[in-house]
Formats: sequence, structure tokens, C-alpha cells
Amino acid sequence: MQNNKEKKYDFELNLIPFIGFMSVCICFLLLTAVWIEIATINVKQAVGGQSAAETEKKPLLWVMMDIDGALSLDVRDAAKVPAALRKLRIASKDGKVDFAEVEKVAANLLAVEPNLSTALIQPKAQSSYEDIISLMDSFKKNGLHDLGVAPL
Amino acid sequence: MISNSGILAQTTFGTALGAQSTIKPKGGIWKRQITADLLLTSLIDAFSILVIFLLVNFSNAGEILSVTKDMELPKAGAVDLIERTTVVKFTQGKYFLEDKEVNQSELVAALLQARQEWIAGHPQEEFKGIVTIQADRRTKFESLNAIVLAMANTGYSDIRFAVLTQ
Repeated sequence: MQNNKEKKYDFELNLIPFIGFMSVCICFLLLTAVWIEIATINVKQAVGGQSAAETEKKPLLWVMMDIDGALSLDVRDAAKVPAALRKLRIASKDGKVDFAEVEKVAANLLAVEPNLSTALIQPKAQSSYEDIISLMDSFKKNGLHDLGVAPL
Repeated sequence: MISNSGILAQTTFGTALGAQSTIKPKGGIWKRQITADLLLTSLIDAFSILVIFLLVNFSNAGEILSVTKDMELPKAGAVDLIERTTVVKFTQGKYFLEDKEVNQSELVAALLQARQEWIAGHPQEEFKGIVTIQADRRTKFESLNAIVLAMANTGYSDIRFAVLTQ
């Protein structure tokens, strides 16, 4: 039997296999790493699917995009929204969509109609994909989560 | 004895760790030694941090979508996780369904065939009708409109636009 008085508390771990394992792990992870993070913006078809009779009447925001970046907004089926806010036009800023104004309008609409969560976007043929995505992103950030895109 | 039979004890005259021991310091041996071994603690710390960082960032999105050099995806902040769905890509004026080139006029037929193949492969699941659209950020909507229309005609109701996370 080993005497407890002679027990040593200092001992050396064999770190070589551990370092080897870590090196292999790092090499594998660096080789397979994806540095660009791809995600998706989920939207629905704005037209088609259900018939008009089957569709539940919910507050709806139609957004018509112009080529110059201006937007025409039309709020439908929202009784709480005053007439002054139902049809709006957001002018472009330096030839692009004025996202600060979009944010302000979305906040105003949601303040009077909290149930408004659907926005349908109608781009023009010459609307750039980037502008459409930025507009959708802006709506999502401001609480309009159910987005749709209408074909030409 | 473990400390005497350790690899470092057998291969070196003395160790830095041994010299720093609070229980039984071996300063005398350390003073006389010819070789010194490396302090590995900091190296292992760095390795551990690297491994944890790489594991946290590990993503399989690159396997779902392949982004070519000439394609620059738009950026967005309010995004959802990417899932494996039918992918339609528009690049350099050409349409690709799952990396297979299709003409604009053949998009409807190709999507219908993809739908039928999916239903045949998943007989007990309900068809979800999701398509991921991948295109360059400068693409005009008229080019993507063909995909959206073809989707509407073939029962694909959910569109997922591939973007880069901001």
C-alpha cells in the first residue's frame, strides 16, 4: 500500500496529444469555415393563393415603388387609420428610397392601428433588387412582419 | 511517483513548473538546468479560444447556397435562418434551378417538375411550396418577376430572398 505521506501532488499532464487534437480541430474548422453569413428574407406571394372571399380581412398596407425611389402607400381595411394617413406619398431622397421617412410613417401607422402587420410591395420593372430588399428590411424592423411581393 | 515518471521529467533536466511549485520548489535543480521547456498554458488557452470561436461561427449555409464571385447579394438586418429549399438563381442573364440552367420560358415546367419530384420523395409530408431566390443586388425586378410569376403558377407561395446578414 502506498503511504499517504509520500503522495505527490505535483505531476505533469502529457499535453502533446491534447495539442495535437486542438491543432487538427483548428485546421479543420478554418478550412470549413464560412465567413459570409447568408440568411433569407421570407415573404409571400401578394397575389394568388386564396380567393378574395376566403381571405380574412386584415389591415393591409400596399406600397407601390417608383423608379426614382418614391413610394406610394395605401392603407386598406384599417378602420382606425384616419383618412389623412390612408394614402401617403414618400418622396425619394437623392434618387433613393427615404428610409428615415418610411420608418416614421410605419411608426405613425402602427401607433393608430397596432394590428397592421402586413405590407405588400409592388415594385416597378426597373426597381432594383437591393432597393426592394432594403424596403422589406425596413418594414420588418418597424413591426410589419408579414410581407408580400406582387409580380408585375 | 507520477512527478518523477512524467515525460517532461524524463526528457529534461528540470522544468519551469517544477521550479515554481509551491508545495516542493525545486529551485536548485532549475538553476543548474541546461534546457528549458515551454510554458504551454498560454498556447493551450489560445487554441481553446480559437476552437470555441470557430465552433460558434460554424455554419452550413455555404452548402445550401453557393455564391459565385460575380454575384453580390443584398444586405439586410431583419433576417431569418436559411433552410434547404428549392433554389432558383438568376445570374448573368440566365436562370438556374438547383444549378441547372433553364430558359425563362421553361421555368414553369421546371418548377412543376421540381414540385412533383419533391412530392414523390416526401409522400407523407405536405408540400410547403417554398423557393429561395438568389440574385445579384443590382438585378432589376423585371428579371425576378419571371421567377415570381412561375412560382405563382406552380403553387409555390413562399419566397425566400437570399441576403447577406448585416
